[in-house]
Amino acid sequence: MILFGMMALTFVNGRIPFTGEPYPLEYPASFGNRTNIPADNPLTKEGVYLGRRLFYEKMLSAGNKISCGACHMQQLAFTDGKAFSTGIDGVPTDRNAMSLANLLWVKNFFWDGRASSLEQQALTPLAAPHEMGQLPEISAEKLQRSKVYPGLFHAAFGTQIISGEAIVKALAQFERTLISANSPYDRYLNGQYQPGSAALRGMQLFMTAPAPERQVRGANCGHCHGGPKLYLEVFHNNGLDSIPRDAGREKQTGVAADKGRFRVPTLRNIALTAPYMHDGRFRTLEEVLDHYSDHIRNSASLSPVLRNTSNEAGGASLRLSKQEKKDIIAFLQLLTDSSFITNPAFSNPFN
Amino acid sequence: MLYKLTACLLITIFAATAAFAQTISVEGEVTHPLKLGAADISKMQRTEVTAADRDGKPHRYSGVPVTTILQQAGVTLGAQLKGENMSKYLLVKSGDGYEVLFSLAELDSAFTDRVIILADQVDGQPLPDGKGPFRIVVPGEKKPARWIWEVTTMTVRFAKD
Ligand code: HEC
Ligand code: HEC
Repeated sequence: MILFGMMALTFVNGRIPFTGEPYPLEYPASFGNRTNIPADNPLTKEGVYLGRRLFYEKMLSAGNKISCGACHMQQLAFTDGKAFSTGIDGVPTDRNAMSLANLLWVKNFFWDGRASSLEQQALTPLAAPHEMGQLPEISAEKLQRSKVYPGLFHAAFGTQIISGEAIVKALAQFERTLISANSPYDRYLNGQYQPGSAALRGMQLFMTAPAPERQVRGANCGHCHGGPKLYLEVFHNNGLDSIPRDAGREKQTGVAADKGRFRVPTLRNIALTAPYMHDGRFRTLEEVLDHYSDHIRNSASLSPVLRNTSNEAGGASLRLSKQEKKDIIAFLQLLTDSSFITNPAFSNPFN
Repeated sequence: MLYKLTACLLITIFAATAAFAQTISVEGEVTHPLKLGAADISKMQRTEVTAADRDGKPHRYSGVPVTTILQQAGVTLGAQLKGENMSKYLLVKSGDGYEVLFSLAELDSAFTDRVIILADQVDGQPLPDGKGPFRIVVPGEKKPARWIWEVTTMTVRFAKD
């Protein structure tokens, strides 16, 4: 009883006191513990539940039209299947909606890494006129007038008074639970799944750098997309254009070396998240493989990893055979985590 | 009007700093944090090492010993590198987000004869696009994975827990 009282009185760093039961995060040890959780927003079961409701809550948009879930659909690994998304006003977004998986390990959010926490990230879609078009403070007033939300915020943050800050904190808590670690590839790494021969050949190519002088064939994808999470937090220009229409990270930093450079996205559930790249220019994985194999565009900021990297001596692109491309795609299919896209804990609670 | 002018000025200043943003910050457990541009580095005592990159062929890299930069920043090297300072490390970060780590002892000339340098030239030429303007070169290391390119930040920290 005394202990409970003390818990309820605990204030951690920020202005919002929190109560509630800690939410245990479970993930493979191989993912590592370099996670990104702000000290003033630890996960609680109540906070995560509230965040899930808010993620699917249309009241957070102008005119109660859409929720985060409109552009981030669970069955598509939290993407929307479109090159550019449309929000409350039907005007397309500047970039392709990103998959939301294993965000716990991301430090710089968005295609150009411009937000350093999920709390900060959420402010953009909430307020952006072509996305949800409503300031979090207005959302807070709307939720305050509802029957259920004051109680849910009290359970999560110890106060019935709803604020924009509490909204983004709850959203961030929910998003940190979106862990994908049960694809056939994960099971293969645990010794519980035997891939077919095409996927095994594809995996070998994916992880190997080509070295024609030593008769080693490879695609070197793992250099940027590797590791057990299939995610490394690095930024590269992967040769889509010589003169990019979207300058990417350069807009953030003003550094010429960042022209056309984007965050390397996760390849988890990649078979579900077409179309591909920051502008959704490729409709299929076949088109992606054709790009890396045959169409790398040179420029001063092209990643050094893609320069002089070819299966042909002196080649400007990888030069993969038809069969090799198919094998790599067979490997990419192993990254689909069906339990992630059907997990009831991530689904729309209003359905 | 005044507001507009100030805004204009601010944007200009921002653009100007951004254009020269290719500098190296030296920060963390230092007595003098540094922001070094190409001009600052060219004034330091230079050295040359011969080492083989991923292509397996030896090249001449010239630049500045990493310890020279750390000394300027007042990092605990030489006589001060003992006791709790033995648990300090240098984290080097690239503009592409890649990071590599060195313990202070493996850089310090009181501990090793190997000189790890921050290179700005290879075979008498500036480093090629994408790998410059500054790159760490670690002579004698079998894999060049710590030859981190496009160096932007060098941070000295205590290893915690
Ligand atoms: C209108 C469609 C749309 C809506 C609604 C929307 N998003 Fe997004 N989301 C996007 C797009 C487009 C991007 C990529 C934008 C960019 O990089 O500039 C994105 C990126 C993200 C990212 C970055 C992922 C990463 O790996 O860096 C997160 C997290 C995210 N959205 C969460 C949310 C949340 C939470 C909401 C609701 C508050 C939301 N989104 C609502 C379209 C949308
Ligand atoms: C130099 C680093 C690098 C290498 C090597 C690399 N990629 Fe990428 N990849 C990127 C970057 C950066 C992006 C995002 C680019 C953009 O949208 O502008 C990307 C995007 C992708 C996407 C689209 C992801 C999405 O969510 O839209 C796929 C699929 C992909 N890469 C597959 C591969 C495959 C297969 C290989 C090996 C043949 C490979 N990559 C090699 C850096 C790399």
